[in-house]
Amino acid sequence: MNSYQQNIRNFCIIAHIDHGKSTLADRIIENTGLVSHREMKEQFLDNMDLERERGITIKLQTTRLAYKAKNGNEYIFNLIDTPGHVDFTYEVSRSLAACEGAVLIVDATQGVEAQTLANVYLALDEDLEILPVINKIDLASARPEEAKMEIEDIIGIDAHDAPLISAKEGIGIEDVLEAIVEKIPAPKGDADGKLKALIFDSYYDNYRGVVIYSRIFNGKIKIGDMIRLMNTKKKYEVTEVGVYSPGPMPVSELKAGEVGYICASIKHVADARVGDTITMDDDPTEQSLPGYKKVQPMVYCGIYPADGEKYENVKDALEKLQVNDAAFLFEPETSIALGFGFRCGFLGLLHMEIIVERLEREFDLGIITTSPSVIYKVIMNDGSEELIQNPSNLPSLIEISHIEEPIVKADIMIPKEYVGSIMEICQERRGKMIHMEYLTETRVVLHYEMPLNEVIYDFFDALKSKTRGYGSLDYEFIRYEKSNLVKLDILLNKELVDAFSMIVHESKAYNRGRFVCEKLKEIIPMHQFEVPIQASIGQKVIARETVKAYRKDVISKCYGGDISRKKKLLEKQKEGKKRMRQFGSVEVPQEAFTAVLKYDDNK
Amino acid sequence: MMTTNKVLGLYLHIPFCVQKCKYCDFLSYPGMDHEKQVSYANDLINEIEYYGELYHNKYYVDTIFIGGGTPSLMEEALTDKIISAVRANFLVEEEAEVTIESNPKTLTRDKLAAYLEAGINRLSIGAQSLDDRLLKFMGRIHKAGDVIDTYRLARECGFQNINLDLMFAIPGQTMELWQSSLEQVIELGPEHVSFYSLQLEEGTPFFQMFKEGIFTEISDELDRQMYHWALKKLGNRGYTHYEISNAAREGFACRHNLKYWSMDDYLGLGLGAHSFIDGCRFSNETDINAYIGADPNRIAVWSHHNTEKDNISEYIFTGMRKMQGISLCNFQNRFGKELQEIYPEETQRFLKESLIKIEEGHLRFTLKGIDLSNHVLSDFV
Repeated sequence: MNSYQQNIRNFCIIAHIDHGKSTLADRIIENTGLVSHREMKEQFLDNMDLERERGITIKLQTTRLAYKAKNGNEYIFNLIDTPGHVDFTYEVSRSLAACEGAVLIVDATQGVEAQTLANVYLALDEDLEILPVINKIDLASARPEEAKMEIEDIIGIDAHDAPLISAKEGIGIEDVLEAIVEKIPAPKGDADGKLKALIFDSYYDNYRGVVIYSRIFNGKIKIGDMIRLMNTKKKYEVTEVGVYSPGPMPVSELKAGEVGYICASIKHVADARVGDTITMDDDPTEQSLPGYKKVQPMVYCGIYPADGEKYENVKDALEKLQVNDAAFLFEPETSIALGFGFRCGFLGLLHMEIIVERLEREFDLGIITTSPSVIYKVIMNDGSEELIQNPSNLPSLIEISHIEEPIVKADIMIPKEYVGSIMEICQERRGKMIHMEYLTETRVVLHYEMPLNEVIYDFFDALKSKTRGYGSLDYEFIRYEKSNLVKLDILLNKELVDAFSMIVHESKAYNRGRFVCEKLKEIIPMHQFEVPIQASIGQKVIARETVKAYRKDVISKCYGGDISRKKKLLEKQKEGKKRMRQFGSVEVPQEAFTAVLKYDDNK
Repeated sequence: MMTTNKVLGLYLHIPFCVQKCKYCDFLSYPGMDHEKQVSYANDLINEIEYYGELYHNKYYVDTIFIGGGTPSLMEEALTDKIISAVRANFLVEEEAEVTIESNPKTLTRDKLAAYLEAGINRLSIGAQSLDDRLLKFMGRIHKAGDVIDTYRLARECGFQNINLDLMFAIPGQTMELWQSSLEQVIELGPEHVSFYSLQLEEGTPFFQMFKEGIFTEISDELDRQMYHWALKKLGNRGYTHYEISNAAREGFACRHNLKYWSMDDYLGLGLGAHSFIDGCRFSNETDINAYIGADPNRIAVWSHHNTEKDNISEYIFTGMRKMQGISLCNFQNRFGKELQEIYPEETQRFLKESLIKIEEGHLRFTLKGIDLSNHVLSDFV
């Protein structure tokens, strides 16, 4: 190994949401002298507004930094940022694979959380050196010694000399930098060997096509090389290689141990999938890097243009988002109630929320989203299988032998006083407890197997609400399981509104049906006629509410000559009408679609 | 010398009362003593002088409406002084309609005589109900007998144009109680009857009591039954239903209030009063402490110059309150476009739903349409 490679440190930072990952990244960048404090946008690595607002990282950024250590040597740090949420586990695992070490941030006021743990296990799977640091020691409620003990007890790694820092106040940052030099090993690999490089992220650039973020494990890569992507089996000519420091900076070549970007006139991010291996087309390596997986959406919902919004605008926006997000899928679909729209697939609920929010905020679109659904496996009488993502497409019951639903393994970490109430909500959601583990005297992790459709419905909201925000959740798909599922339909004024249809477990159908009817009764305004709201399974009505007909909507008083008061009243009424959507003869406010999905603490 | 024939309605607000009724959200204060009444009257006269200067060359006044509060509570000398100030500063038509609002129990023979002397020719009596229990419940200061006494006294003194105000849909009121009140009123034979459905307004004691569950509202069904029964009854007894909440004998529709519903010019003076003049809407200070002693040119605290769009929607939603509706021909003359051209979809839809109709060249509400008038009108703003 040459001395250049000897002085490279590839690492990432792992932490629970809000534990200060982005802030520490900012401090590291600042302290290595790459960017001055003045030039820095707060939280450098999170470059989407939405990410900054939510305090979570969705897309990865990676940065090359130069650090002059106390031993007098100059080191190259490649800081690889990782997404921080349960929906992006696979992306996390691939960026971890690009590193030799991970800085593990634990909040001195919160201790170890489920998410932290999930990511630490991923890092240990990749054989990374874990470097624990205790953050937020400047806060009055900080308990650094307890946090250290939790790390040792729960994770089982030595934390006695973990740097005590405050990323926000810039305390202890140099200790972290020195520890990176000391403890994280230099990358291995032979620059003269056959090319083997990992794609751990990619994004689309209007001028250069897809830009791949890559870690070179073996060999080297330069402009003009013909490369091959081993899993998608496609060939491309390299047009540019470079590093981010922090802007793109072309270099002559990238070699073993380095991290950088590669452009090769690739048109779609889906062609350069995360986890794929790059090699030379004329001199390929025999073995691709392990762990390649094509990510599959787990959650689906319909996205429709709201009244007054153009279908084309929504389509354009979805296309733009997809260019940068290989995990996001969409295809056209039609709803009787909502007209032309799209069925969209997401990694999970958060992924869905983010996409929906971006459509509304960045693209300024008016959209309606339908109930999220998982993919059901429908086994037909003739033995054939159908995958159903849209409840409306469920074949008629007489043709069906049975239905299977996805089950996930859910790890729920909570303070022990909430065990009772959380076990209750898990049970209500058909969870099967596998076992319960005391991580420390006060913290418990519950291992459950649960149907994904229960998790995506309102479980996360319920968990947060019942634990006052202290509960955290991590889940992964394990298998499909035969289940007694039924399709619950909602009828307004005797007409089925397909956008409200959902697939639920038979035992939950009655309660869900009643809940939706009650909610809709609150939301649907009075009409000139009575509006029956019914929930039904097949032909059988299981719940019913009625919106009474209005008889009177008149102000008899004249308020002297105060016309403006009357006008304001009418204008407000008009505003309310605008947000309505017509279903047959019934007007439904658009918020009805989300309101029927909201977790209600009183239910 | 009169240089114009533009007419103006004048509204004068008197914010005094004996005690606030439990449903009342108008600007009115109980317990205004002699001194305060005098100082308020002086400020009102200052305002009359200020606006007289501005407008007396352009307008002549054909209606005056003294509203409140309970204007009849004010000493008659002050009332006279205010009306004299109007006559001194504006040109007032000889046949002008001059109304004062009153409460039973605040009127005496002398006061009524003084009113007639000052040129007040229309008396509006706030009866509200002829059931003692309901009157007490609402916080009224009078009983049913006082209404009848006051009415008779006014007739004796020579008033030939009297309005009685009634309320229905009062919590606790039955259909029978309502029928009895209205029948007694009709029996008295006033020229004009107003009938309002009681509205729970935020900030009133009634609203609070309702929220605390002390009483429940009358159902919409009963409210409408009471209303429609009243329309029938009044119609049978020779009253013309000319506005959503008003009926009158031939020739006695309230000319002042009609201005509000016809986009005519009116000037409102006094605390919190509203004006619409020369295409501009404005309104006065609503804080009594800020009003008293203020410079008249600083009393208007809000103003808005109507756009053509404002004019069109206001013309419709005010005009439709009149039972004869909007003359489609007048509309086109005024705005240069047909109403159905501006609101093609809305007009069609409500015609189809039989909430509005076109008759005698007018667009007007059907009986069913009155009940849902806000629903209809909100599509025209």
